[in-house]
Amino acid sequence: MNIKWIALIGAVLAIATVAFSQSSAPTGPQFTKEGNLVLPSGFREWVFIGGPITPNALNNGKADFPEFHDVYIERENLRYYQQHGNFPEGTVMVKELVLTQPGKYPDGSIDSASGRGYFPGALQGLDVMVKDSKRFGDTNDWGFFTFGHHALPYEPTAKVMSVGQCAYCHIAHVAKTDMVWVQYYPLLHTQLH
Amino acid sequence: MQNKQHLAATLTGMAAIGVFVALLCTAPVTAQTEHSAAVFTADGKLKMPTGFRRWVFVGAPTTPNALNNGKANFPEFHHVYVEAQNLDAYMKTGVFPEGTVFIKELTRVLNPTFPDGSRFEPSGRGFFNGEFNGIDATVKDSKRFAKTNGWGFFTFGHHPQPYEATAKESPVEECAGCHIANVAKTDMTWVQFYPILHARTANWDTPEAK
Repeated sequence: MNIKWIALIGAVLAIATVAFSQSSAPTGPQFTKEGNLVLPSGFREWVFIGGPITPNALNNGKADFPEFHDVYIERENLRYYQQHGNFPEGTVMVKELVLTQPGKYPDGSIDSASGRGYFPGALQGLDVMVKDSKRFGDTNDWGFFTFGHHALPYEPTAKVMSVGQCAYCHIAHVAKTDMVWVQYYPLLHTQLH
Repeated sequence: MQNKQHLAATLTGMAAIGVFVALLCTAPVTAQTEHSAAVFTADGKLKMPTGFRRWVFVGAPTTPNALNNGKANFPEFHHVYVEAQNLDAYMKTGVFPEGTVFIKELTRVLNPTFPDGSRFEPSGRGFFNGEFNGIDATVKDSKRFAKTNGWGFFTFGHHPQPYEATAKESPVEECAGCHIANVAKTDMTWVQFYPILHARTANWDTPEAK
């Protein structure tokens, strides 16, 4: 075969290879023209980093986040954090809320074969934070969104929440750890290779 | 000179073809073959699975020590993971394919301040993930584990890291007995505790939008 042809085919395939491999890069946030965030898709295949739980029964029947908070992040952004101690531009963190199964005890827990405790029940909402220093420079580079604290289905888009609803609490408590509660997520506060 | 250029062009082209072909070959094949994360030693012990934190998280029952006389069977958050391809199969058929591995990673609750093990944090009173505290695994292999409904049960330790590198099958009374008694009808899995398993939707990776 003509050497030029081999080189040309090689070059085309090299470009195709790059395009192919980019499918594993972080998807990043998607915004509408009005600046609303589109409901992220596929996040249950991202890396789960932890699931704090604030049972309604321990919070006067109305926890701010009912009740399991299952938090997901894309692998490349997690890896970047482990190397740099902060998150790259375009990082999206998803907090999926799940109710506990109806409680038997006053603290909301139930008995199960594995012991007394809290067990995931119905899906109950989705919150998202996005790192974008241009869009959200006023709130330490992160924007906060909720797609509803209720049963499915969720809102398809969400506008940025006011500072008083989300960002203020992150600014007050976790500004030094890039606005993320790293102390609740073993993968973020454990030194790993 | 020209020969060198030809050689470089040829090598570059061939290398690129090689990379491309390798990518084409590996990507679909791993998704389609009967790949299993379960690797056994010659004497039948399970090697600790790797990479499972990239699998799909399906739920986290929580049994705080403080609500279980100081000694929960599984201390204390139970983070459960399964591979996407096995989840896809389950959504279609209602059973898990041969070779399916479930991982249950345990983490302690973070520094309790109330008698029930909870503490106050800005998001409310509750339980927050502390340190890693153990790994359990179940493997579906109907030949190897025919006596326990096709599933074998393993623990790599209920304690802080590091964990055991291999584990022998746990006795029936330690694990399988309870699964047989309670969840034999749902392929030995507590699907009632995992929202995306009991919803059984094909597009399990994304919630439904209005």
